[in-house]
Amino acid sequence: MKALLSQTMPLFNAKFFDLMVHLPDDKGSLAQFVSAADEFGYSGIAALDLKYNGTDMDQLPSGFSLFSAVEVSGKPSRLRDEIKKYKDTGDILITRGRDEEVIRAALETQRLDILLQPVKFNNVLSKLASDNSIALGFNIGSIIHTRGDDRIMELRTMRTNLKYARKYELQMVLTCEPYSPYDFRSPREAAALAGLFGMRPKEAVDAMSSVPLDIIRKKSPEYIQEGIEII
Amino acid sequence: MKTMPTLREKKRYLAFKIISEETINRRELTGELLDSICLLFGDTGASEINPSLMSYDGRYGILRCQKDRTSETRAALACINKVRGGRVSIMVLGISGTVKGAMEKFIQQRLVKEPEPDKELQEHLNH
Repeated sequence: MKALLSQTMPLFNAKFFDLMVHLPDDKGSLAQFVSAADEFGYSGIAALDLKYNGTDMDQLPSGFSLFSAVEVSGKPSRLRDEIKKYKDTGDILITRGRDEEVIRAALETQRLDILLQPVKFNNVLSKLASDNSIALGFNIGSIIHTRGDDRIMELRTMRTNLKYARKYELQMVLTCEPYSPYDFRSPREAAALAGLFGMRPKEAVDAMSSVPLDIIRKKSPEYIQEGIEII
Repeated sequence: MKTMPTLREKKRYLAFKIISEETINRRELTGELLDSICLLFGDTGASEINPSLMSYDGRYGILRCQKDRTSETRAALACINKVRGGRVSIMVLGISGTVKGAMEKFIQQRLVKEPEPDKELQEHLNH
């Protein structure tokens, strides 16, 4: 029993991040989201289209980090230009994989960070993602908010994507995609939900801690290319 | 007649906290919990999990499940997102082997940390 505890306890002693938080437009929502994320055990969040000012940053709990993310969408021809536009902004770039053409256009651009829940993923797209080191996103929120047929489809998609991610050694990211503070789930719950489509606890923990940290590191101004860094 | 100790099934007790827009009563929570487990794992899965709400005070509660089905119970709890149209989120505080352990380790410790609302109000009035 003690041996089992020592195996599982350090697993969840990490810093967890949720990289896709939707903030509503009203004032004060950021503080609510931050306190909810902090209570659920997250060390940082990346909010989509974040418009923060100095006072917001001062109110953050100690050790909590706030990042900015952008969801890039549109027609495949415009998607490349959209991604290039955010090239040097330091925002985390996320594309939702609804359409195969959109997925392909997004994966061919090197600057993309996360491809969220691609619906028709295959070996060619996996190879592209692997070459351009783009992480594969798994949306836990879709399991929480859907029921019946829709949830079966979501779980089926995630199970297939997990197979490709393991085969092509793609980085994986888990997100609850919260639209309100009530949508957060703690990392242990997220790992349990990820277990429903076959993800191992170690993979789930990495998808919420080390992989987001790696993406954040790549977005820092000191980072140039893998292996090259300004000291 | 009592079950023989060797045949008794091992259980685990999950201490949880409810974060909700409106107060939820015990009946609503039990219904929602069983619905969530049945939808996610089916009737067979629910019988294997063997869930039972041990105690609940409107905010904190203890849920019993089978020893080797804690992960599934966590997943089912996480899937509860709405009760009576109001948004809900359930946070598992910890798992223990006894009701007493779950209560002392996870729920009472939290209650000690949180200041009592009456005291807070009185201090505010004094100032």
